[in-house]
Amino acid sequence: MKKIGNYFKDFGLAIAHGDIWVKLSLIIMGAGYFGRKQFMRGILMTLLQVGVLASIFGVFAPYMSKLNTLGTVQREEIFDIVTMKKTVNNYDNSLLILLYGIIGILVIVAFIALYIGNVKAVYRIQKMAEEGEHINSFVDDVASFKNDRFHITLLTLPSLGVILINVIPILFMVCIAFTNYDENHQPPTYLFTWVGIKNFVNLFTTSQTITFGYAFVRVLIWTLIWAVLATVTTFLGGILLAQFINHEDTKLKGMWRTLFVITIGIPQFVTLLLISKMFGDNGIVNTFCANVGILDFFKHIGLLSAGDAFIPFLSKPGWVHVSIILVNIWIGIPYQMLVATGILMNIPSDQIESAKIDGANKFQIFWKITMPYVLFITGPSLIQSVIGNINNFNVIYLLTSNYKTANMAMANSHAVEPDLLITWLFRLTNEYSNFKMASVIGIVTFVICAALSLLTFSRMIGGDKEGVYR
Amino acid sequence: MKKPWKIVGRHVVLAILAFIWLIPIFWLIVTTFSAQKGINTNHFFPEHWTLANYHQLFFEPDSAANFPAWFKNSMIIGIFSCLISSCFVIMTAYAFSFIEFKGRKGLMSFSLILGMFPGVLSMIAMYFILKMLGLTDSVVGLIIIYSGASGLGYLILKGFFDTIPVSLHEAAKLEGASEATIFYKIVVPLSKPMIVYTVINSFLNPWMDFVMVRLMIKSKNPSDWTMALGLFNLLQRALVNQYFAYFCCGGLMIAVPISILFIIMQKFYVEGVTGGAVKG
Repeated sequence: MKKIGNYFKDFGLAIAHGDIWVKLSLIIMGAGYFGRKQFMRGILMTLLQVGVLASIFGVFAPYMSKLNTLGTVQREEIFDIVTMKKTVNNYDNSLLILLYGIIGILVIVAFIALYIGNVKAVYRIQKMAEEGEHINSFVDDVASFKNDRFHITLLTLPSLGVILINVIPILFMVCIAFTNYDENHQPPTYLFTWVGIKNFVNLFTTSQTITFGYAFVRVLIWTLIWAVLATVTTFLGGILLAQFINHEDTKLKGMWRTLFVITIGIPQFVTLLLISKMFGDNGIVNTFCANVGILDFFKHIGLLSAGDAFIPFLSKPGWVHVSIILVNIWIGIPYQMLVATGILMNIPSDQIESAKIDGANKFQIFWKITMPYVLFITGPSLIQSVIGNINNFNVIYLLTSNYKTANMAMANSHAVEPDLLITWLFRLTNEYSNFKMASVIGIVTFVICAALSLLTFSRMIGGDKEGVYR
Repeated sequence: MKKPWKIVGRHVVLAILAFIWLIPIFWLIVTTFSAQKGINTNHFFPEHWTLANYHQLFFEPDSAANFPAWFKNSMIIGIFSCLISSCFVIMTAYAFSFIEFKGRKGLMSFSLILGMFPGVLSMIAMYFILKMLGLTDSVVGLIIIYSGASGLGYLILKGFFDTIPVSLHEAAKLEGASEATIFYKIVVPLSKPMIVYTVINSFLNPWMDFVMVRLMIKSKNPSDWTMALGLFNLLQRALVNQYFAYFCCGGLMIAVPISILFIIMQKFYVEGVTGGAVKG
């Protein structure tokens, strides 16, 4: 709060104590620089001001003025009998209004910050002039971007990219969550408008017509179970495999490692689609299971009923969940093995040696020394990978793209049993154009991930350890 | 003393595991030689062996499958995204690691929060934006999608930069080197392995991606697709009985260069993945 106060206090001081040039730069932003003979900088600043103001009033203002309703005039086509042509009225496009409205607001916020900063900068230069200090020429200014202000040079383009690809779309989708944008309200033919928190209420509602609450609870529980299981199984498996390969008795370590690494080299969309066909209802694995009697064995122990002709690896609830976890182990372990190999190489060997001298056996060494060390190093990244798995689209979608649910309540809200929040969101938009509910689910996912990240946040940034290893 | 059966047992277990891991890949390879176009559900090995699938893959594009065009599109997207995003990642990591500037911590926290938002969701909005700009169904649009926000992926490289002694940086400054000179002459050469790792990752990310393409490309013309979309489409119910062997050929062709790259890069990869974590 104090920082914000100071920010505006400095601005006030600059106006109050500034000379005529500073005051002039309240109207023409380059004026202050002209007064100190920094002509190039003055021209550039004035041009920027003109450009931004022109774009605000010329481009964004018409859209921003309709932000409160998101448009009122619906598209109509009138067939003119005389000219034999269709004419379209001057209609509102809710999508463009929302998008340009958001960009317009961002531009205005940025412009205000620039404006205040400019006045302060001009005032600073005035003070420097009064004290007879050297005032940068344009050449000096340009040079400073290679030195004092090198971070600006470095970060400008990446930041612009992030604003365009991340910030604006996120703001946009957050807004969509509060509108009724769905298959029945698609611009340009139809308008959509604000509906408050109705969509959020719907997500937690279960009734005759709305089954989102029912589907949401199921999808959420499976998402969390999946994220934890997928992370833990591949993590432990990776360490065990790395230990196994790195053991002193193992010959040809490099070759074994390479055999597993090959599986990372094939893109997931190839291996997962391939596996989904292998384990299909009429796939080769089912043929094999029927031939060697596994099918009959499952029937015998009651996992399948007598009438089943195949094992529904990827087509029945329960089965599909287990299959997904197992396939993910197949996908994830080689990668975790590589990571673990790197970490295990760095374990302080003196600890293990002294434990051996004290008579500890292998299991004790593994659980009391190796695991704590690995957990200490990878703890934060473990939570990161839980978050990664919550958003793990590929495994689920590619394995179950042909899955049909028999559960009407799920089907009604366009979810299927193996869906994670992220694949449900994807199906809702890509197949059913239900953007409002997809946005709500996206926000819920974000809240869950953010809550999990708080656990590691302090370690990554707050408890600054950057300097320790230098 | 070591018991020999234990050592043998260890290798038998490893061999069984490796066998399990390699079955699908082995199946992929043998199916590329199958004379049967659809999925052979009865036999692991093809009944009749042929090279016709490869000929079809490279020289006979048709209305459903056009591997040469897909390969070209994916290659262009991969190379350009790789160039842009490597630059962005290196620049961001350097600024956050070496330069103490106002708002640095704030920006870093902000970037972490941004990274938690599900990417698929923001890509839906990106689709509308690209549609307005007329860039959907185009290679340019996908390059923007893949490389634009890549600055957010700076953490691992920053972790590595953090291990370069700060005294080196200060000494160079005392000698009168500008930040730009330090960046080009000292930090970049010192971090070669990590930069190679970053570059390869930036290439593989678009090369192996599926979800963004699925969202961004709605064109029905196969020559506009990338490999991920094209191969995915071949396994749809209507096509799979004609194109499964073709799919396997395509899958193998894109996997071979990456697998070789991975095997060579194993060492860098281990360093790269752990570098950031170990150094906090």
